[in-house]
Amino acid sequence: MEEKMKKQNNAAKKIPRQPASDQPGKVTIRKLPTGVRGLDEILGGGIPEYSFNIIAGTPGCGKTTLAHQIAFANATVAKPVLYFTVLGEPAMKMLRYQQQFSFFDASKLGKAIRFINLVDVVLEQDLNAVLDEIIKQVTASSPGLVVVDSFRTVIRKAVANTDEMEMQSFIQRLAQFLTSWEATTFLVGEYVQEEMKDNPIFTIADGLIWLWQVTERNSVVRKLQLFKIRGQDTVPGLHTVRINSDGLQAFSRTMGLTNTKAKPLRNRRLSIGIPELDKMLGGGILEGDSLLVAGPSGTGKSALATQFIAAGLKIGEPGIMAIFEERPKGYVDRAANFGLNFKTPQEKGELEILYLRPLDLSVDETMQEILDAIERVGAKRLVIDSLAGFEMALAPGFRADFRESLYRMIGALTGAGVTILSTVEVEDSFTSFPFSHYAISFLTDDIIRMRYVEISGQLRKVLVVIKMRGGNHAKDIREYVITDTGLVIIHPRQTDYTELSTGIPKLCARAVEQAPEPRADR
Amino acid sequence: MTKPHPKIRVLAENLLAFEPGGKTTGASDANAIFHVCEKLRPQLANLTGNVGFRALLSRALALAGAESAGLRLLHVKSNGSLEGLEELKEKVAAKEFLEGEKILLSHLLGLLVAFIGENLTMQILCEVWPQLYRNDRSVGNGGKNEKAE
Repeated sequence: MEEKMKKQNNAAKKIPRQPASDQPGKVTIRKLPTGVRGLDEILGGGIPEYSFNIIAGTPGCGKTTLAHQIAFANATVAKPVLYFTVLGEPAMKMLRYQQQFSFFDASKLGKAIRFINLVDVVLEQDLNAVLDEIIKQVTASSPGLVVVDSFRTVIRKAVANTDEMEMQSFIQRLAQFLTSWEATTFLVGEYVQEEMKDNPIFTIADGLIWLWQVTERNSVVRKLQLFKIRGQDTVPGLHTVRINSDGLQAFSRTMGLTNTKAKPLRNRRLSIGIPELDKMLGGGILEGDSLLVAGPSGTGKSALATQFIAAGLKIGEPGIMAIFEERPKGYVDRAANFGLNFKTPQEKGELEILYLRPLDLSVDETMQEILDAIERVGAKRLVIDSLAGFEMALAPGFRADFRESLYRMIGALTGAGVTILSTVEVEDSFTSFPFSHYAISFLTDDIIRMRYVEISGQLRKVLVVIKMRGGNHAKDIREYVITDTGLVIIHPRQTDYTELSTGIPKLCARAVEQAPEPRADR
Repeated sequence: MTKPHPKIRVLAENLLAFEPGGKTTGASDANAIFHVCEKLRPQLANLTGNVGFRALLSRALALAGAESAGLRLLHVKSNGSLEGLEELKEKVAAKEFLEGEKILLSHLLGLLVAFIGENLTMQILCEVWPQLYRNDRSVGNGGKNEKAE
């Protein structure tokens, strides 16, 4: 027996695997676009043609808007959309509100999108009459897409007068008819998740798109989940959704980066814009690394970030600065004070300074903004200043996802060859030397720690390279100052002091030195 | 109370003129307003249902009745059609009857413009009356109604 199984396993191993789509005779399922940014990627390419789908959720979570967006994206005169409205929102009200969205195309109404009111049939007759009316309309116009909004009200009305088998039969016949007539169907309904296990509609459906609206503290968070899409490799999990003047926008958990091609490792080192620091880093940051610059307020993290971007621009590498605390003008002015011109690259589209501070963003959409900007300018360098500001800009409900999302974005971007410098503020402790209160050090390839130290009655600044992926680096604690050319590392390594990392070093040798910055007059 | 924009009134006059009796002096047996409403009914019932259409026409009738008292003789039947036109015709002068038709239709169109906007209203009307001139395809002022003095 065991021998037989072994043989079978070996035989199975020998059969070369072929992607299903490449196998001859397999049906190719066309995928319809949803017209919703980000949703096609989550769906694994779009809505499978001729599928029978449900858009479910509680009132106000965007079901009708989603159905309209899909309808407008696919409606043509040759393959029109039939939009059946039932008890609930009448078409006139829908039209009143939906025309506020940018996807609404009035020229499609009438010929490419037809609204049919089923209220009277539902109110006055039974399920058979509803089915007959749908069949009549579908037969007359051969639609490419059919929407029933709200299907829940059809069922709710019928439940009182119909037994369960009849109900199931109605749904089955409806699904079979619409699929046979080559229509992709969307039934829109107010459902709660608990209904899923007992309701036959969820068994029959090929696709189940669930929308949520959750209020957490002062912010509202919208989410979308695909419970099932038959035959497609969808992106699992909960995805953020936002409704704005363009309608729904979905933000995939993978942020559209699943297909980002990894760049071959070239081991090219990039200058950070501070020659002495480049030396400490073993020749610069490795291209595609994620560098974390940690230090307390005023130590020059933003100055370092500015020089990093400027060094890239100097050699033709476009950059993005995603900032959450200062305003863009502050960065441009700081650069100008260091003799670095940010205005011209901004005008040329080589540099974008994104000021992201709306306070109720989701992680995914913030990251999408960054990703869009990276794509727009072809950025090779990205600054996130700062991670604390980034987290603060998010709606409270999204903060729990912050590290996970950051992890995904950093991983995908660095894999694609973008070099990232993130800053993080850490409070200086005079007893320990924390890198960051965020447990994000694991996200970064390289860490530079800046801190204040008290030397000879002055609060001076030192930095040290803590970690450097794939290469040796200086272990020295070096003093630096912020001058009119930016951050400058001064003095060779201090050998006259010990315990510099505590911030209160001890003099261990006679130090005869000139203070790097002027002392106060006595 | 609001009065429909003058351009909506012109549009109403044009629609009435497309229907039997719409160009007469009112002496004819034909009731243009009846035909206009009957043609609009299935179109609008698709958007609002019969109940919705009935509600719209009733509202238009209430607004129009305040402008032309004779129109208060009219009623909207449960199927959404107008009732009482013959009685009205007998009781008021032909000129007043024709004016009443225009007022009622202006209010109905004004309500449509207020709810779904000028573009969609014109689109629906053009589906029913493809002969609507290009010039008619604007009700001006973004479809806003005028405040009555």
